Amino acid sequence: MLPKLRALILAASALLLCLAPAAHAQDSALQDLLQTHAEEVADPGRRSVGALMDDLAASDLPGVARFLERWADKKVYLNKEDGRFYYGETEDGSFALRDIASDEPVGTAPAAAMEEIRPNGGVRRVISGALVEFQLSDPDRAARVDALDSISRRPTADQLGPLRESIEGEPDPALKARKERLANLMTARFGADTETRVAAIERLSGAVDLETRAGLSRILSAESGVAPDLPADANIARELEVGDDLTEADAYARLVGADLAAPLVTNADIRDALAANIEDGAVGGVPVAELSDPEARTRAYAALAEAGTVPPLVTPEEQAQAARAHVFYEVYDEPNPAVTDAASAALSEVEARVARHQVLDLGLDAVSLASIYFLAAIGLAITFGVMGVINMAHGEFIMMGAYTGYVVQQVIPNYTASLIVALPLAFLVAFAAGVALERLVIRHLYHRPLETLLATFGISIALQQLAKNIFGTQARPLTAPSWLDGAWVMNDVVGIANIRIAIFVLALIFLALLLFILKRTRLGLEVRAVTQNPGMAGSMGIDPGRINMMTFGLGSGIAGVAGVAIGLYAQVTSEMGSAYIVQSFMTVVVGGVGNVWGTLAGATLIGGLQKGIEWFNPSNTLAAQTYMILFIILFIQVRPKGIVALKGRAAGD
Amino acid sequence: MRELVRSNPSIPWFLGILAAFCLGVTFLAEATGTGALSTSFVKTLGRTLCLCLVAIAMDVVWGYCGILSLGHMAFFGLGGYAIGMWLMYARTELIVAESLANAPIPPTPQEVEDAIASQIFGVVGASDFPAIWAFADSFVLQMAMVVLVPGLLALVFGWLAFRSRVTGVYLSILTQAMTLALSLYLFQNDSGLRGNNGLSGLQNLPGLGAVPQSVVSIAFFWASALALAAGYLAFAWAVSGKMGSVVRGIRDNEARVRFLGYHVESFKLFVFTLTAIVSGLAGALYYPQAGIINPAEIAPIASIYLAVWVAIGGRGRLYGAAIGAALVSLLSSWFTGGGAPDIDLGFYEIQWTDWWLVLLGVSFVAVTLYAPKGIGGLVDLIAERRRPARTGDLGPDTSALRKTEAAE
Amino acid sequence: MTDVVLAPEAPASTRKSTLLELSGVSVSFDGFRAINNLSFQIGEPELRAVIGPNGAGKTTFMDIVTGKTRPDEGHVLWGEKSVNLLKLSESRIAREGIGRKFQKPTVFEAQSVRENLAMALKNPRGPFDVLLYRKTEDGARRIEEIAREIGLADHLPRTAGELSHGQKQWLEIGMLLAQAPRLLLVDEPAAGMTPAEREHTTDLLKRLARRHAVVVVEHDMEFVRRLDCKVTVLHEGSVLAEGSLDHVTSNQQVIDVYLGR
Repeated sequence: MLPKLRALILAASALLLCLAPAAHAQDSALQDLLQTHAEEVADPGRRSVGALMDDLAASDLPGVARFLERWADKKVYLNKEDGRFYYGETEDGSFALRDIASDEPVGTAPAAAMEEIRPNGGVRRVISGALVEFQLSDPDRAARVDALDSISRRPTADQLGPLRESIEGEPDPALKARKERLANLMTARFGADTETRVAAIERLSGAVDLETRAGLSRILSAESGVAPDLPADANIARELEVGDDLTEADAYARLVGADLAAPLVTNADIRDALAANIEDGAVGGVPVAELSDPEARTRAYAALAEAGTVPPLVTPEEQAQAARAHVFYEVYDEPNPAVTDAASAALSEVEARVARHQVLDLGLDAVSLASIYFLAAIGLAITFGVMGVINMAHGEFIMMGAYTGYVVQQVIPNYTASLIVALPLAFLVAFAAGVALERLVIRHLYHRPLETLLATFGISIALQQLAKNIFGTQARPLTAPSWLDGAWVMNDVVGIANIRIAIFVLALIFLALLLFILKRTRLGLEVRAVTQNPGMAGSMGIDPGRINMMTFGLGSGIAGVAGVAIGLYAQVTSEMGSAYIVQSFMTVVVGGVGNVWGTLAGATLIGGLQKGIEWFNPSNTLAAQTYMILFIILFIQVRPKGIVALKGRAAGD
Repeated sequence: MRELVRSNPSIPWFLGILAAFCLGVTFLAEATGTGALSTSFVKTLGRTLCLCLVAIAMDVVWGYCGILSLGHMAFFGLGGYAIGMWLMYARTELIVAESLANAPIPPTPQEVEDAIASQIFGVVGASDFPAIWAFADSFVLQMAMVVLVPGLLALVFGWLAFRSRVTGVYLSILTQAMTLALSLYLFQNDSGLRGNNGLSGLQNLPGLGAVPQSVVSIAFFWASALALAAGYLAFAWAVSGKMGSVVRGIRDNEARVRFLGYHVESFKLFVFTLTAIVSGLAGALYYPQAGIINPAEIAPIASIYLAVWVAIGGRGRLYGAAIGAALVSLLSSWFTGGGAPDIDLGFYEIQWTDWWLVLLGVSFVAVTLYAPKGIGGLVDLIAERRRPARTGDLGPDTSALRKTEAAE
Repeated sequence: MTDVVLAPEAPASTRKSTLLELSGVSVSFDGFRAINNLSFQIGEPELRAVIGPNGAGKTTFMDIVTGKTRPDEGHVLWGEKSVNLLKLSESRIAREGIGRKFQKPTVFEAQSVRENLAMALKNPRGPFDVLLYRKTEDGARRIEEIAREIGLADHLPRTAGELSHGQKQWLEIGMLLAQAPRLLLVDEPAAGMTPAEREHTTDLLKRLARRHAVVVVEHDMEFVRRLDCKVTVLHEGSVLAEGSLDHVTSNQQVIDVYLGR
């Protein structure tokens, strides 16, 4: 058929489809197409279906994939009365029919009128190949992803051709890359000759994704084996040395598993055997009372073994000898050594790249953790630097900010709007609380830093309990707006949640803001003056009391903002502040007091360190924190004044 | 001795009141007297005496030497863990021996140990003894651990911290970090000390199963009282002589003491380690009376509460620390145990289980602000009325105020 | 009386030998050179006055000798065996026999005068020595003697914080005496003293200098003149002039520095 003409017919039938009432919906383009090949559809032969397949493929009609699937599953019927094709299901001797294009029910027909269409095996293979092709070029992206997933799960050799053919027309670049990778992986497994396979494997060595890694490891899957001599014809992955690669006990266990040695007699076996063979208060001539001695037990058991009642003990010497007499090895399932060599080279290259990307990912994690620590600690650092005061209630200001966010969210249901309101409000609430604390308590305790520490601790426990009394002990959610929900993903290894990016940006904003306040404003000038010499600053007309109040308020306010930020990804509880307070102290101590850059350096170091330790020991965050604190204690040995230390007379001792 | 009493008039008072208290409790206890005091309350009192002992140690290190350690409850807990290991091992050994006695074949020592291990570590999914339990079968060695573990930890940590001249709030934060690290470590299941389950059943003394708890409680009460008395005497002696002079000098002006030729770091280390050991001993007496120890007991908050007790009781005087610890810990259990009557304000009912911590926090701030000498300051008021123009230690509050050149 | 107070330390044979020698010492704080290639020597016995305008490095010089500040370069050698002081801790330097009196009186205000003096008394300084230390007749007698010398004999049981400013100065001098050092570094001893007390101080320092090395840092020219000793003028961290007071005050550079150009 001429393409032009076909297009005309299709356009016409599409028009018909739109105009025709529902009852005539069955006059569809697909039905028409099938009718033009009615013979081949009803009685398909492997040779004859080619033209039909080509037409179907070229038609771009929506129901084609479904038709192919059901055709292969023998669910397509010919209604001998009207000569049309239907999907059918038996229902009490009659058939429930569905339209071939729309899959809508179109009534029933007596069983006698229906003829089941049974494609043979050869045809079904052709169909399934075509089916894969259809799915792989389905206009719906999700359908294509599904098809790829199913191929990736259970790849077969005959999918390779359609997969290759679908690559060309793939509009989505990400999917195209995935198809290419998958094609390479499948070529590596099912390729016709060694050269093609090795070439495909080599093309894979540039990837980092999980699929490739899994595919390569699948090629390299190996079984462990044991034999008196190394099998000559097998593709040996490696030989295992007893003592280095596996323990003597494991080696012997493998021998037992391969029926190459007698099972071990365990201590429990000995005990059970002895217990089962007590005769007149003795076993094998040894009195039962003496059997608490392991040697006596061995003697008694040896006597039983002598008598043939129990299997003899396998001595450690015998075990070692048995292990020496055999070789332990791992053998690849893949028989072709060229392929396994190429695959293991490619895999190690991929893994090296994955490791580099993991470092990058770890770096991103560390930066985001550092941002959180920076936000949590900078307020503390300011108050400590300017006033020499450690504020143990700092964590509770973080909590206050988080609860402010929670309350705002109860009032303003729109998450974006509530966040915009919550951030400044949390700052104001914590600012006010900080100023109140400074005026009421800390002002009276200057030059008594240890007492300030304790008094603010009193505030801290009171505030924590107060929060518990007001909001209850259960965690309160602070929901992030949906635009913060996703994640920025570079590949299967590197990715970061949007919310962490937002916190990073927030930390940058506050870093810039603080630097601006401290370096460019009158307040900053006065703050620096008071930091360096409060007496002199006072005599120059700066009111140190006011500066202290403002600084304390500023530090506390930032803690409030940090509270909102932390609350967005962790839960809001009355104890959330105490979870951050020690880390914040560490940040300040490590970074060096009274310096924004110092806090930044401290936060970076602590964040990086914590992530680094977690990477070495990912299952155990408790241990990571333990080691981190130990590191900090040692770090203080090297730099007692922190990373960014003031030197000379100004630093004091 | 006479000289010691002359320089420390509080000694006879303290020992006298302690003895009277002990006798009173003995006459009211279930096992030895009328039974007006329940066994559990006798245990509470015994525990309180242990807390007084650790508070005195804290006072020496903080009130006298000026090191606000937020780690002494960690040493206390380590002492408890050390003795708890023996208590748990020995008792489980008895139970295992009993259950294996009926086995057809008498068990080998290895089988007994395995059975004990799986009994103890079943909760954390392990069945082998970690290396730190190597001495758990010996009471003597484990008692040595009570002294050695807190002592060595304090020695190593103190050496590192003092050597690098970490002082003031920095040092406090560092000790807090040490405490946090320790408790986090113990929270792990593979720490070898049963993770957050801790050690339990410590109130059952091995081999004394037949002795009723009422007798055990009064015995521990007396042991705690004796330890407190001994600790009080020892510390009073240590801080009364030249040692006290140097140590208080370090508190008030560390650099000046250094220029007098004293190796300040050694003195700090000495005081820190000694008080850590005493804390460990106090813990070893406390936890058999508490029955259970877990890592939460070691968390930094416990050490901060210790500082709060000492501050409320009055720093720089040993009896003040003891008063503070006894008063606050007993009040605390009264309030949180529901003993205190709730106050109905009409529109709101103040339930003390919810509001006690708020009250404690606020009153602690008030004490720090308005009564820096704490409860012990009351004693001064009485003493001043009787004997005007008395000279003595101004206490850390006044003298710490002096800004001096050497400290710059 | 002072002869009793100060235990004879230096044997006659070592007289006038160099006790302390600084050579090529420099130290800077954040780029500011507080001490610049300073060289300084003092023998035993000798009395030396160090003068100089503010910021000349007088206090930093003392800090370096007592080990409080570590110089960036240079040598500080001590005694007959030329011990390198830079390797010793502050407390070790003090035990070597270098005593220091601070500009502002720093005594332990919470403790009694007797306790202050007892703490300074030359005795073994280890923690266990101190813990097991028992008062001795000898020690008590020395405390009495020193207290008489500094005019605080009647104030021994009083708390040091209750003393007047001048009395604190005296107590600190007394603590210096109790340490029995070989080298005494005295920073502005006469500040806040009455004229009579100044006279007493001058006498005491001169008597001490008969057997010991004494370095006096002073602003008051009149006081320096009364000491009647060799004078070292510090300026911008190094020695500007050295010699008798008359010699240095006639030096044009010194006049420029003191009066400004």
